[in-house]
Amino acid sequence: MMAAAATSTTSSHAQKPSMPVIGYLCPESPELFASRLRAFHQGLREAGFVEGRDVTIDYQWAHGQYARLPALAGELIAHNVDLVVAPGGAPVALAAKAAGVTKTIVFEMGGDPVALGVVDSLSRPGGNITGVSSLSVDVSPKRLELMHELLPAATTLGVVANPTSPTAGSQLQRLRAAAETLGVKLLVLNASKEEEFEEVFAAVGRESANALVFCSDPYFAFRSRRLAELAIKYGVPAITQTRDFPMAGGLMSYGGDFVQSHRRAGIYAGRVLKGERPADLPVQLVTKVELVINLKTAKLLGRAFSQSVVSGADDVIE
Amino acid sequence: MIVRDRFRGLFPKYFLVLFMAVAVPLAINGVVEAWFGYRDQRARVDQLLDAEASSAAAEIHNFIHDISTQLGWLVQLPWTDEVDERRRTDAQRLLRQAPAIVSLTLLDHNALERLHVSRVSLNRIESRTDRSADPALVGARATQVWFSDVSYNRGSEPYLTVAVVGNRPSSGAVIAEVNLKLIWDVISAIKVGETGLAFVLDRPGRLIAHPDLSLVLRGAEETTSRPFRAVRDAIGPGADFATSQAADGRTVAVSAAPVAGPDWTVVVEQPLSEAYAPIYAALRRTATLLAMGTIFAGLLAYALAHRMTVPIKLLEEGTERIGAGAFDHRISLQTGDEFQRLADSFNKMAGGLALAQQHQERIAKLKRFLAPQVADLVDRTGDDSVLDGRRTDVAVVFCDLRGFTAFSAGVAPEEVMGVLSAYYEVLGRAIAQYEATLISFSGDGLMVLVNAPVAVEQPALRAVDLAIEMQKRVQELIAGWRARGYQIGFGVGLAGGSAIVGRIGYEDRLDYTAIGTVVNLAARLCASAADREILLDVEIATNVGGQRPLHDIGNRQIKGFDEAIPVFGISFGAL
Repeated sequence: MMAAAATSTTSSHAQKPSMPVIGYLCPESPELFASRLRAFHQGLREAGFVEGRDVTIDYQWAHGQYARLPALAGELIAHNVDLVVAPGGAPVALAAKAAGVTKTIVFEMGGDPVALGVVDSLSRPGGNITGVSSLSVDVSPKRLELMHELLPAATTLGVVANPTSPTAGSQLQRLRAAAETLGVKLLVLNASKEEEFEEVFAAVGRESANALVFCSDPYFAFRSRRLAELAIKYGVPAITQTRDFPMAGGLMSYGGDFVQSHRRAGIYAGRVLKGERPADLPVQLVTKVELVINLKTAKLLGRAFSQSVVSGADDVIE
Repeated sequence: MIVRDRFRGLFPKYFLVLFMAVAVPLAINGVVEAWFGYRDQRARVDQLLDAEASSAAAEIHNFIHDISTQLGWLVQLPWTDEVDERRRTDAQRLLRQAPAIVSLTLLDHNALERLHVSRVSLNRIESRTDRSADPALVGARATQVWFSDVSYNRGSEPYLTVAVVGNRPSSGAVIAEVNLKLIWDVISAIKVGETGLAFVLDRPGRLIAHPDLSLVLRGAEETTSRPFRAVRDAIGPGADFATSQAADGRTVAVSAAPVAGPDWTVVVEQPLSEAYAPIYAALRRTATLLAMGTIFAGLLAYALAHRMTVPIKLLEEGTERIGAGAFDHRISLQTGDEFQRLADSFNKMAGGLALAQQHQERIAKLKRFLAPQVADLVDRTGDDSVLDGRRTDVAVVFCDLRGFTAFSAGVAPEEVMGVLSAYYEVLGRAIAQYEATLISFSGDGLMVLVNAPVAVEQPALRAVDLAIEMQKRVQELIAGWRARGYQIGFGVGLAGGSAIVGRIGYEDRLDYTAIGTVVNLAARLCASAADREILLDVEIATNVGGQRPLHDIGNRQIKGFDEAIPVFGISFGAL
C-alpha cells in the first residue's frame, strides 16, 4: 500500500506543482515503517498538513540497506524537494546532512544529535537542521540495569552492538561504565546484518553470558519480530529499545516512545513548511521513555520480574 | 427652479436645521453609547483576564501541587536500617504515574541517600551518601516543601527540583527532579478567548512554559525571554489590565497571577483586537446606523426643505408675475397649510388688482372726456350707467381759434404744435375747473358739455362762466402770439336745451357725446363769433338771467337755421 502511495506521489506532484513537497528519506521499507509513518502523518496533520491535500511527499525507501541512504538523499536533492525529513535514526540524518541538502532537514533519531555533531546545541540547533531525539541511545545503560535486576546472579551479560552505527562507540562506552557500577562483565557481540542475528543468540549459550542487551539501533529496532523469534527459539532473555519487541514475544523493552518522536517530527515538518526557521526550533527530546514487559515470555523463560519493575512498567503484556 | 438658487436662500438653512435636528442627537447618542460600551467592555476584559490569570495560575499550581502531594506519599513512614523494597516499588510507580518526574531521591532521617531512581541514568540503591548539606534538603526542612530555581537540562529543557520532608523527622525526605516541559500539556490547554494564551515566567523572568514549546526549549536565552518579561513588567499594581507588545508584535491585553510555591508568575494575554472585538463590532454597528441615520436625515431634511421652499418659490414667482402686471396669474398650491392660505390670499389680491386695473382703465377712459372730479365720482359709485344714452337738458360750449388755418400754413409744424399745446393746456384747466365734460376736439376746435353725464347746479351759468374763463385765458395767450406776429383770434359759442347724450363708439374707442339741435346751434354760434366774442342762445341767456351782464345782440341769421335766431353776447371782461 505504501509502495502504491510512493509511486502515486510523482504523478500527484506533477499535477499540483503549487503544493510543497516533503522528501521523506526512510531507512526501511514501507511495511516496517508503517507505525512510524502513521505517527508522522498525525503530527503533520496537527500542524495543518494532509498528504495529497496540502503537501506532497516524495518517499525514498532504503529497504534496510543503510549504505544507500546518501544516494537516496542525493535523489531528493535532485528532485528539489522543499524539506527533507530524515526519520529512523542517526544514520539517516547524517546521510542527509552529508549529501549536502541545502533545504531544511527534520530528523528523528534515538541518539544525541549534539554528540553526533548534527546540531550545535539542543536549544539553538544552528544551520538548516533540527528535529526530535527519542533518548533511546541515552538509556542503553538502563536496559543493562533492568536485565541485571531480572538476573541479579548473572556475572556476565551479553551486549549486542551494530558496528556500523554512528552511536555504537558511545553506547558501548556508557554500557561498560554502567557494568562497572552494577558489577557485571559484558560480552560484546556485533551484528550489522539480519543474517548475523542468529549467530548472536547462538553465541550467548556458548559463552558464559545468558542474556542479551541490545544497543539502541534502528536496524535492530525495525527487526524486532525476527529478534523476538530468535529469543524465544534460543530461550534467551533479551531487552531492546522498542516496544515492538515484547509485543512480538520478546521479554522487554526500554526506550523512547517512537509514536511521540515521529509525531513531533511531523509537527516540526509542518512548522517548517509554514515558514519557521529551523534555527528557531530547538531540538526536542522525547519526554516519555517507556518500559514494556512481557510476563508471558518471562514465564516461558522461567524468570520473574521484581515488584518494582512491574509497578514501574508502562505496559505489561500478560 | 434653478439648482443654484436652491443653495442660496432658505433651502440650505432649512436643510441644515432639519438635518442637524436629526443627525446631531443621533451622533451624540452614538458617541455616548460607544463610550459606555468601551468602558463596559474594558471592565469585562479586565474581569475576564483576571479570572483567566487566576484560573491559569491555579492550574499551574495544581500541576506542581500534584507532584508535591505525590512526593508526600513517599515520606509517610519512618525509615529503618533495612533495605526498603516497598519504597522502591512506590518510587517506580510514582515515576510511571507522574511523567514529569525525571528522577527521585529518597533520604532517610539521617540525610543519607537510600534510594535514587531515574528514567535515564542508573538507579542507586542504598548508596548512603550524606546529603545533609544538599540545599534541597535544607530548604525542605525549613519550609516542608521546597522548590529550586529553574535550571535548564542541557541548556534546553527547564527542570525544577522539588524537595518534600515528612511531617516527622524519621520519615526523611524526597527530592525529585521535575521536567517542566510537561507543563506544556496544561499551558497549551489554557485558552484565553479565541487566540489568547498563557505563559509562565520564573522569578528572574525566564520563560518556563508557553504553548509554543520551542520557545521554552531555547533555555535561558535572554532574547527569547525578554519580550515576555516586558509583557509581565507592563502589568502595574493597578486594578486595570495592562496592554503590551507581545513577542509576535501584536498588542495584547495582559493580566497576571502569582503561582504560590515556586514563586512564578502566570501571565495571560489576549490580542487587544480580539479583546475589543465586541466593542469594535458595536462601534461598526453604531457607525453603520449613524451613517444610515445621517443619510436618512439628509433625505428627510432635503424632502422637508424642498416641501417648504417649493411653495415659497412658487409664491415668489407668482408675486413677481403679479407684480409685473400678470393679474390673471394664479398661484396653484394644494399644501393644505399656511402656504395654501397665503397663495389663496395672493390669488385674491391678484383678482382685486385685476379689478382695480380694469377700474383704473375705465377711469382713464372717462377722464378723457369727463372732468377729473366727475370721473372720480363715476368711479366711486362704481356705476357708469350715468354714461348710458338718455335725453337731458345740457349746455353745449363750442370754441375755436380764428385765423389758425392761415397761421398754420405759414409756420413750422413745431411752432403750430407749440401753439396748440399751450392753447389746449389753458382750455383743459378751465374745463376741469368748471367740471365740464370734454366731448371732442379737432384741430383748434373744442366741444364741451355741461350738465351731462353728471348733472350740475345752474348749468347755464356754469357754461357761461366757463366760456368767460376760456376767453380770458386764451386772450392772454393771444396777446403773446400777437407779439410774435401771429394773427390768431378766439371765439366761443354756447347753446342750451335738450339733447341725447351717451356713449358712442366701439369697445376700445368709446366716446361720450351729445346729439341734438342745441349742439348744432352752439357750433353755429361759435362759428359766427368773432375774436374775443362769446355768443349765447336765448335758452342760456334766459337761464342766466340777471346774474351775468349779457347784452342782446339781436336776431342773427345762423347757418342751418331757417329763421334768424336771437343771439346774446357777454363781455369776457365782465367778471
